[in-house]
Amino acid sequence: MEKQFTIKIKNGRKYFYRFSLNQRFQHIFLFSTVITLVLTGMPLKFYDTRWAKPLYAIFGGINYTPVVHKVAGVLLLMLFVYHIGYLIYNFTVDEVKPLKAAGRLNLPSLLQAIMRQPMMPQWRDAKEILQLMKYLFFLTPERVAGDKYTWKEKFDYWAPFWGIVIIGSSGLIRWQKELFSHLFSGELINYAVIAHGDEALLAALFLFIWHFYNVHLSTMVFPMGTVFLTGYLSEEMMIHEHYGQYVEVMKQAGLEREIQPLPGSGDQHRARGPETAAPVGY
Amino acid sequence: MAMRVKNRTLKRLGAFAIWLALVLVAHSQAYASDVGNCLLCHKYPGLSRIDENGKYRLLYVSEETFNRSIHAKVQCEGCHTDIKKIPHDPAKKVDCLTQCHIIEPTSEQKFSHKGVEEFLEHSVHGRYDKNGNLKKFAEDLPTCKDCHDNPMFRPLSFFKRVRPGISDAALGRCRVCHSKDEFIYRFYNHVTTRLHTTRNPKNIAEVCARCHDNSELIARHGLSFKAVATYTETFHGKSAEYLSERVPDCLNCHVKKGQSPHQMLSYKDPQSSTYKDNKLAVCLTEECHPSAGAKLADYNPHPNFDRKQNPRQFYFTAFFILLTGGTLLPLMLVMFLDLLRTMFPHASLLRKK
Repeated sequence: MEKQFTIKIKNGRKYFYRFSLNQRFQHIFLFSTVITLVLTGMPLKFYDTRWAKPLYAIFGGINYTPVVHKVAGVLLLMLFVYHIGYLIYNFTVDEVKPLKAAGRLNLPSLLQAIMRQPMMPQWRDAKEILQLMKYLFFLTPERVAGDKYTWKEKFDYWAPFWGIVIIGSSGLIRWQKELFSHLFSGELINYAVIAHGDEALLAALFLFIWHFYNVHLSTMVFPMGTVFLTGYLSEEMMIHEHYGQYVEVMKQAGLEREIQPLPGSGDQHRARGPETAAPVGY
Repeated sequence: MAMRVKNRTLKRLGAFAIWLALVLVAHSQAYASDVGNCLLCHKYPGLSRIDENGKYRLLYVSEETFNRSIHAKVQCEGCHTDIKKIPHDPAKKVDCLTQCHIIEPTSEQKFSHKGVEEFLEHSVHGRYDKNGNLKKFAEDLPTCKDCHDNPMFRPLSFFKRVRPGISDAALGRCRVCHSKDEFIYRFYNHVTTRLHTTRNPKNIAEVCARCHDNSELIARHGLSFKAVATYTETFHGKSAEYLSERVPDCLNCHVKKGQSPHQMLSYKDPQSSTYKDNKLAVCLTEECHPSAGAKLADYNPHPNFDRKQNPRQFYFTAFFILLTGGTLLPLMLVMFLDLLRTMFPHASLLRKK
């Protein structure tokens, strides 16, 4: 892994390192192919709408758009294979080798290591969701003190993960129907058609409503969060979303004195938190 | 009601006045393709009347359009046989099985579509059953004009690339022997139009949909589902919607290859291309899925999401609908509450201890 500074200070503001260059490239590759797939796939699902035909025509109509769709699909599947390899490689370097060196490489220790992986759902996530519900329903003024990866990010990770498995496999069946018809009943193609379109609609709505809200439209980030480009998250966003990790990193960096309070956690009505620090002018 | 009758009378009077004006004003121009001089009146775009059933009838004939149609060489009287004088009485509907004035060059007999009738009568659309009895609701079954209009030529330009339109390169070859351009164009059109279908898959599906997507007719004739609506749920049908000509339309599967499309049979008939034992051969056609396995025949080209007819596919679809709703609705609620919360970031119903 490349060497990075955990906290970068630029123009007196703190920025917190979150995503490596490799991860950012994977994300850019992922959303480029997914957007292409949505644009070239949805007009076929919603062929009877007014926007469908002009949109399809942009990609070359019925003779060429399916080709664009297949190329993008193959690229996305290649990314998926790469990502699996990336996970296995990191897991081997970070977990298996140290375990081996310590002579404790066995099934329970491996399973424990898998459960420790940053994207694995944990009890903490359920607690975070519960706390968020309390906050959203005005039962507490205290925001969630999110860890390095919050439940939202884990959701945003596993949803496309499951999506690629379902949509990718059903897409391959629809594409290579001749091959699959030697192995499985032709009815499988009917199921593949349903699964491909319906799961894709779910994925597209999930991304363009939920994910876009979190990274583009929410008042905290509008018009766009920049962490996916720079790899660094601002202090305000760290406090807002990942307070748990924020405190930890600040302590590690020896900046205990500069730790800001979690909004809603106590006396920030007088000591203005970063959320209320925006200047008011006339 | 009185108002409507008055309107209708007014319209009739108006139409008559227009007709009279046209007769008086128009010079008798002779049209080459119009021996009977019918276009003397019918060339005027406004020519119309309200018939006995109160239906508006446009009587205008566009000479330009007609001349590009497959029947352009047939004289008006060839089909409208009951018209003997001008001005004429209300004309009867055209019977497509009439012998027309064209001499069929291979047999040198007068041409007729009569042969088609026999195919149609022996098909699933025939009016009589095997024992020669008139079927129930025979009046619903299609006759020529329920499916056919007077189609336009759709010439194919197969020089270098197959694409629609007249190929000048090909015309050059015709001119080696033939001098009359009019003949060359007609003959080129006549031949190349028949080298592919006159209608694209979408048009064909639309023709079938007139009856096969009509819920009333489906119920009356004991059919199971809307044939075209279910076809449109598949990649075949969707591509047809996008005017693809590479996908199969109704006829490609429901008519045996190389046979008259009028010979369509019920899927229950062992002779039919859609009979359960013949289905696979249709899928494996050279142009379609020649490398597919035998199990492809289990594919349902008319997926009908009906709980009774197709429970597994119905519940499979229902699962995805529930998954979509179950995922998005709670997340959207969170988004909404989150926005609301940003307006009152520190408010709380319960006091913090």
